[in-house]
Amino acid sequence: MKRPAARKPEDHEEEPLAKKQLQTKANSLLNAKDVDTKALKTFVHLLKDRPDHVQPADVMNVLEVIFKNLLKRRALDGSEGKSLKIREFYEETWLLLRENLLTESTVALKVCFQLIRAEAKHSLAPRKGWPAYRIREILETLLGDKEETPANALTNYGKYCKNLDVLDITIKHLVDLVPAKDFKDAPIQAMNFLHLLNLVDLGKSVLNAAEYHVETIKLKTFNLEQCSKRLNDIWAAVMLKSSGVEERLHRQMLVVLLERIINHLEDPIQLTDFLMDSLHQFDGPIALLALQGLFTLMQKQNITYPDVYEKLYNMFYPRMFYNKYKARLFYLADIFLTSTHLPENLVAAFVKRLARLALQSPTEDAVIMIRFVCNLLLRHTGLQKLIRSSQTAAADEISDPYDEQESNPVKSQAINSSLWEITLLQKHAVPEVANAARFINASLPVMEHELGALLDRKECNIFDDELQSKAKQFALNYERPKSLALPKNEVVTKYWDLI
Amino acid sequence: MGAKNKKASADAVYAKKTVKSANPFDNTAAQSSKRGQNPFDVHVNKEKFKILGRICKHDRGMPGVSRAKALQKRAQTLGQQFAVKNKTNRFKDNRIGKHLSGDQLTESVMNARYLAEKMSQVRQSQKAETFNLNDDELLTHRGQTLEEIEQYRDERSDDEELDDEGLDADFTSAAHFGGDGDTVQDRQTAIEEMIAEQKRRKNEIVKEKDEVYELTEKLDANYKLLLPLVAKATKDEQDAKPPPDAYDRLLKEMIFEPRGSVTDKLINPDELAKQEAARLEKLEAERLRRMRADGEEEEEASINQPKHRSADDLDDGYGYLAGGDDEGDDTLAYDLDGNLGTHLNGKKNIAAEQENDEENGEEESDGEEEEDSDDGSDSDVDNLSDLKESDSESEAEVESTLQSSKKKPQREKPSVSMDTSIPFTIKMPKTYEDFTALLSKHAVPQQATIVERIIKCNHPKLEGVNRENVVKLYSFLLQYLKDLFEDASDQDIRGHFQLLSQLMPHLYDLTQLNPERMSNTLLEVIKEKYGEFRKNHKTYPSLDTLVYFKLVANLYSTSDFRHPVVTPCFIFMQHILSRARVRTRQEISMGLFLVSVVLEFVSQSKRLLPAVFNFLQGILHMSIPKRDVQQLEITAPFERDGPLSKLLTLPANSKECKDLESQPLQSVDLVTQTITPDFKVRALDATLLLIKEALQLVEEHVGACYLAKPFLRLLVRLPLDSYPEHVQLHHKEATQLAEKLAKQKMKRLAPAERKPKALRLLEPRFEAVYDDKRRPKMSKAKEERAKLLHKIKREKKGAIREIRRDTAFVQELKLKQTLQSDKERHEKVKRIYQEASVQQGELNELARSKKKKKF
Repeated sequence: MKRPAARKPEDHEEEPLAKKQLQTKANSLLNAKDVDTKALKTFVHLLKDRPDHVQPADVMNVLEVIFKNLLKRRALDGSEGKSLKIREFYEETWLLLRENLLTESTVALKVCFQLIRAEAKHSLAPRKGWPAYRIREILETLLGDKEETPANALTNYGKYCKNLDVLDITIKHLVDLVPAKDFKDAPIQAMNFLHLLNLVDLGKSVLNAAEYHVETIKLKTFNLEQCSKRLNDIWAAVMLKSSGVEERLHRQMLVVLLERIINHLEDPIQLTDFLMDSLHQFDGPIALLALQGLFTLMQKQNITYPDVYEKLYNMFYPRMFYNKYKARLFYLADIFLTSTHLPENLVAAFVKRLARLALQSPTEDAVIMIRFVCNLLLRHTGLQKLIRSSQTAAADEISDPYDEQESNPVKSQAINSSLWEITLLQKHAVPEVANAARFINASLPVMEHELGALLDRKECNIFDDELQSKAKQFALNYERPKSLALPKNEVVTKYWDLI
Repeated sequence: MGAKNKKASADAVYAKKTVKSANPFDNTAAQSSKRGQNPFDVHVNKEKFKILGRICKHDRGMPGVSRAKALQKRAQTLGQQFAVKNKTNRFKDNRIGKHLSGDQLTESVMNARYLAEKMSQVRQSQKAETFNLNDDELLTHRGQTLEEIEQYRDERSDDEELDDEGLDADFTSAAHFGGDGDTVQDRQTAIEEMIAEQKRRKNEIVKEKDEVYELTEKLDANYKLLLPLVAKATKDEQDAKPPPDAYDRLLKEMIFEPRGSVTDKLINPDELAKQEAARLEKLEAERLRRMRADGEEEEEASINQPKHRSADDLDDGYGYLAGGDDEGDDTLAYDLDGNLGTHLNGKKNIAAEQENDEENGEEESDGEEEEDSDDGSDSDVDNLSDLKESDSESEAEVESTLQSSKKKPQREKPSVSMDTSIPFTIKMPKTYEDFTALLSKHAVPQQATIVERIIKCNHPKLEGVNRENVVKLYSFLLQYLKDLFEDASDQDIRGHFQLLSQLMPHLYDLTQLNPERMSNTLLEVIKEKYGEFRKNHKTYPSLDTLVYFKLVANLYSTSDFRHPVVTPCFIFMQHILSRARVRTRQEISMGLFLVSVVLEFVSQSKRLLPAVFNFLQGILHMSIPKRDVQQLEITAPFERDGPLSKLLTLPANSKECKDLESQPLQSVDLVTQTITPDFKVRALDATLLLIKEALQLVEEHVGACYLAKPFLRLLVRLPLDSYPEHVQLHHKEATQLAEKLAKQKMKRLAPAERKPKALRLLEPRFEAVYDDKRRPKMSKAKEERAKLLHKIKREKKGAIREIRRDTAFVQELKLKQTLQSDKERHEKVKRIYQEASVQQGELNELARSKKKKKF
């Protein structure tokens, strides 16, 4: 009983006075033999009225301590007037906590889950075991927000969702909570739901960790099969409502599908239509995500999709560097082009296109694409004639036969071309790119380059790397500038009237 | 008798033996005898077998000599230590610079010693000396006071006193050897005569001396009177000298003919120019080397021209070392006037030098160069100045460096430098506020002068502290530029750029003073700027960032393949150009400004930055009116459609812009938001020119067509009718160049032809096994270890022996000491006994005499 009371002041000695006062009051309340309902009422009302001098987070923390102790003492059980009264306050606190869930998500969620744990240990009279209804309340609150997506609250909830019991209950309740309206009518609610669904992670890391929020209860029987079955149900319901949704929602659906659902679906073939439609109707990120979905289907369900390479080929265009999912595209392309049995003229078209794009792309992508081209040349040794043509062929000068505009990679004549782009890239101003492009001068490397590490790099990483390079010889101009203009090769003052 | 015989035969045998072992024709024996060695000292070790090729060091030795040497050494070291053992009163040398000797004992050290001595004296006798007005300090030289020395200095020359006091030869011959025999005198008279003779001579000598003394006195007195006359006379004499004849002339010539070549000659302007040209050429060669990537030159070299091959080259992979650093003949270089030329000869030396200088780093060599030229200018003034070794010289040198480095700007704007309203010496401001306060009082040209003077007064060569000061000044200047440009308005932007322009040479000088520190300062600023930009990379950074880029372009060698300052700037600019949104006049101008800075960066290295081409395409795209549904493909950050894609389009069929004058972009454009028609024309015009410039830079590269083609597609769509003529002209030029490049034909990529490699000829490897020592074969490391262990063992043995002998020596010393003290004691005891017995005798005597009396 004394333990929490004694610990608190020690830990936070420099806390503002209001908080200290609150804690001492709580202490006295708990230390008293009989629970003073009036005092309890003031606490609850503090949260309700939100006076200026008190932080709601502090109040919630104090309330957590109080109710945890009361639950332990079983002060809420029983039928006499006092316990009923306390019970009433408890329920009111829950309501208030739910109100705070969206604004003070970190503390409120923590308090909620602490109380859930306490309640599970010392269950209240009519209900037994895990207070699953509480989770439902929380979920409803998270879903109910009308204006915007409560991003903070969702990420915080995601942390608790790593616990298998919470996960189980969440899935159970989500089945019922699928929005009643069509997605296009209530986009925000749908979005919230999808975000929540995105938190449901049945991945291996979570299952292997096997953590439980409430340890003591014997609810450790987590049933994966049942969960995936429920997920199937949820997705079926989602698919029903999802006709004609807007682009953002569509994208989110695809993300959730790819990240969380598709591995657990019993009959993923049904998705084919959805993915095909996504692939054909949209381009850019949605098409990309759909392509990834299709790829999964091709891998697992053996479906065939006739011109997947053409689609992939056409996803490489200059604007794609500014897409959010470009790393995914590179990753996918790498996988799609892994096979060494692909026709050479097809791969050559990819090689040419990548090289061409490297001439327009930001630095980090240029490096990726040069390495990728190098990998492709290694996989398809026949393609090495792009950089090592026979001496007779090299004698005469030609213009590039590769047709950039042709959308069909096979017809692009790339195989008859040569990789002049890479020679041009050797003249890139950023030394990293120039060095990467020099691979064609020497014999090709034995091993393929690892692309994974490169995919996550940003432009600023290259900047930082450059700063850390060891060579610190500050070579200076040897000609003293007399004014703004350089002694020779002046450009700025030629085209600017600055002075 | 038998014993004697035996000894004789032994001697004979020994003699035989020595003869046998010592070759009669051997030089060593002769030499040793020459040195006066005692043959009995030499001990010969018998050698059982003569082994060919083995050098035997121990065949003969001189045990006596070496033992004596060792003993002497011990006496000098151990013996000394033993003698002073347990004694505390040692002599300690505590003077300043006690370890110095000879030349190291310079004036300054002596002065310091003197000062310290005096200080200690003062400290000792401060109380006593408080009211002493006379300076009692006595100066000494070798322990004698100066006064004493002066007193005893004899001014007479003393060669007269060399008379010998001995007897003269006649007398001695007569007295000692009897003489002729005809003068027979008795001994007594002879001696008396001799004495008389001696006395007379002495008298004579004294007299003579007195006379001489008097005469000299007189002469001295006369000389003083004559002195003024003499001076005049000599002058007259010189005038009156007869004209020199041929012989004299020849003699003089031979006397004054130079006997050696001068190391640092006077340098005439031609040579100076040549030196300067050579310096520039060297720097240029270095720059070109840096410009290339590490492996690039080798590849190119191997492709273009075969390395030098000797006739004996077996093509076995062993390189010919010297061939590697031959430069191509068509290296860019400067002619004497500093213009860029080609095909200068005589580059081999430079290439060789370059190899040497690579470690030294460029800055250093720069400094040397500067100093060299300073020396030159010094010797212009006075070629003896090298001989003077005074502190003032270094100062003068600094002055001259400043002068020489500042010469050009001063010539350009003498009115500015002569400005008298500014003090000539300005202290380094302590804080940034002081600095801004100092600058804000003056107009733009004066501000530059102030900075120049601060640099002059705080040149690191004047004082060590200034090293920090100049770095501080540099950071102040950077901060000042930031403050100026960060919130520049359209009124003062031009003034700010003027200031920057005038500060540029000073910033350059500052950077030259300490490239590393200054560059790090600038790099920090750029890093900070990038940190800000990274947070929101969709908006352009403030104008000061662009100004820093321009600063980098002016100060650093931007053509380097990899450069600690320039390369981050490249990445930064690429990032801005490819990400930041272009929506206003300011952003368009900033982008164009960046593009021109990038082109400046790459103007020599001819490298390419894709974002530049993308950006120029974007601006062109903005100028094209888009009525039709068909979209023109354009990369981000530009938009394909919408209002932002038509920012620079002129209204259709409008004639208002038709007559605009040709005008470059204005500095005002960098701070204004609204887009006016004249800006549209200006921006397009500049874009067309920049396109041409950019394409010209990449013209020679293989694959330039890929860069040119996208422009063509946009250029044809420009509605030229509504633009003035100069724009049309520039458009035509740009289009022509782009078309030319787009039609570029290329050879297919093929690896350079390489000769098939001949198999390597291997040298036969002989195993050196010709000794029959039965010891296990060991690995190299093990063998080394065994050798070392053996050595240790031997050394240990030697050391133990030495220690043993040391102990013996010390014991001997101790024994001697004891014996000596014993002896002394015995003597004392004896003496005491003796005295006691004498005393006893006397007592006895006394007693006896008393007894006698009684009786």
